[in-house]
Amino acid sequence: MRKTIHSASNGIALKLKFLAKEKEVVRRKLVVTAREKEVVRRKLVVTAKKLRLKARQLAATAKEKEVVRRKLVITADALRISRKTLEKKVLERTKDLEKVRAKDEAILASIGEGLVATDKNGRILLVNKACERLLGWKEGETQGKLLSKVIPMSDSTGKTIPALERLITKTLKDRSTTTTTTTMYYKRKDGTSFPVALTVAPIFIGKDLIGAVKVFRDITKEKEIEKARSEFMSIASHQLRTPLTAIRWVLSSLKRENLTEDQAKLVKTAHETSMNMASTIRRMLMISHLEEDGMEPELEQVVLQRELEKISRLHDAHRQRNGLELALQCPQDLMVRTDKQLLIEILDNLLSNALKYTPRGGKVRMSVTKEKESIRIDVADTGYGIPQEEQKRIPEKFFRASNVASPVEAGTGIGLYMVYNIVRLIGGTISFVSQENKGTTFTLLFPS
Amino acid sequence: MSKHVLIAEDDTALADLMAKVLSKYNIRVTITYNGKEAVEALEKEVPDLLLLDILMPVLDGHGVMRFIREKSLECPVIVLSNLSDKETRDKCKEMQAQNYFVKNDLDDDDLWPAIEGYLR
Repeated sequence: MRKTIHSASNGIALKLKFLAKEKEVVRRKLVVTAREKEVVRRKLVVTAKKLRLKARQLAATAKEKEVVRRKLVITADALRISRKTLEKKVLERTKDLEKVRAKDEAILASIGEGLVATDKNGRILLVNKACERLLGWKEGETQGKLLSKVIPMSDSTGKTIPALERLITKTLKDRSTTTTTTTMYYKRKDGTSFPVALTVAPIFIGKDLIGAVKVFRDITKEKEIEKARSEFMSIASHQLRTPLTAIRWVLSSLKRENLTEDQAKLVKTAHETSMNMASTIRRMLMISHLEEDGMEPELEQVVLQRELEKISRLHDAHRQRNGLELALQCPQDLMVRTDKQLLIEILDNLLSNALKYTPRGGKVRMSVTKEKESIRIDVADTGYGIPQEEQKRIPEKFFRASNVASPVEAGTGIGLYMVYNIVRLIGGTISFVSQENKGTTFTLLFPS
Repeated sequence: MSKHVLIAEDDTALADLMAKVLSKYNIRVTITYNGKEAVEALEKEVPDLLLLDILMPVLDGHGVMRFIREKSLECPVIVLSNLSDKETRDKCKEMQAQNYFVKNDLDDDDLWPAIEGYLR
């Protein structure tokens, strides 16, 4: 029994041992499992972390997206607003442009002077209201027609100016602005005409000449005023001249009487003064004629020496009184074909100035030389001269140099103005050199 | 016998003045104030000198010169005129006016010797 018990206990012990072993195995397995679990747990933890990160990232992205969305909304709004403003602005600009255009049209329509624009071939592109009114054409009637057909132009003699000689042709050819220098006449639709002053200018787009624009003005009124002025001048000067002639003739006849020395002196002075007055009136008249373009040179053969002597004689009294020397040099029998009266006027003025602006004891020389193709006349003095800075103003009307001796010599400042105009009229040239307190030399050149 | 000068000048002051100056030199003077009167005077008596204006009423100086030429009168003429244009001067020359003075432009001292010259 004991044995049985013993063996039984042995068996149990073995079983226990076995169980213990199994337990150990199990325990070990459990440990492994636990480790594995731990690994898994750790993995899970990592995954969880990753997930959390992802979630955070997603959240961030979502936020960003939201920001972007909001921005987009804002931008869309801004766009809507700017579109509206733009539309408004476009509307405003359109209105502005319309206003400007209306203004331009109103200005064009309101110009008191006639305006015609033509293309390069002289066909009318545009005319303004004044043009239609002045010429008696109805609105739009002239469009596309040839200018020379619509507005025939003639000169003061009534001769029609051919299209080729018209200002507009010249403007298109020279590509520069031109203005009428003499009075031209325009014919209205009804055949009547009126005097015009006109200016034609080329129209360029960039560098391309596309046509010409002409502005013209009815100068009937000006012509009338001009005529009245001219008539007044001629009547006034006639009224002045006739009694003056009587005075001069009395004095010149008195000079030939047997007078005492004192009387002779007085009469001589009175005669000289009345002669000066006559020449002032003559100059006034001449200027008036010159400015009216009413003067045509009358050419004839002039013996220079004879005229020079005559002119110098007119100044003898003044010259001797002021102790001035005058030398005349002129080749004998030298003739020139020119307007005698105008030449006398020039030389008389130049000599008179030379004598007037030269101090006592000075010298004046008037010399004529024949050059190759021209005649040269120098009038030189040893006088006050013309200040350098004033020299270019010499041809101006009423200009007088600032260094004129005091007491101021009588002078009007029209002498040289007239001389320059006459010289141009007779086709000559005039120039001068002058040095203050040394003297002045005027040089006249004209074709022989 | 004293010399005879005919004056044709519509400006009375000027005409009378010339007459006065001339009469001092023992010269007989007839004054007419227009071309027609001058022609009538010429028909009556041919003077030793005619002082003639151009611009005159009724008949102008050219008309008077034409009359002188048509009638072949032997009468020297000095034209005293305000007209200084070449056309008038040429016309006067053509009409054989001996002297042409523009009233306002001439050297006055030339006038009396010229007149004297024809009365010597």
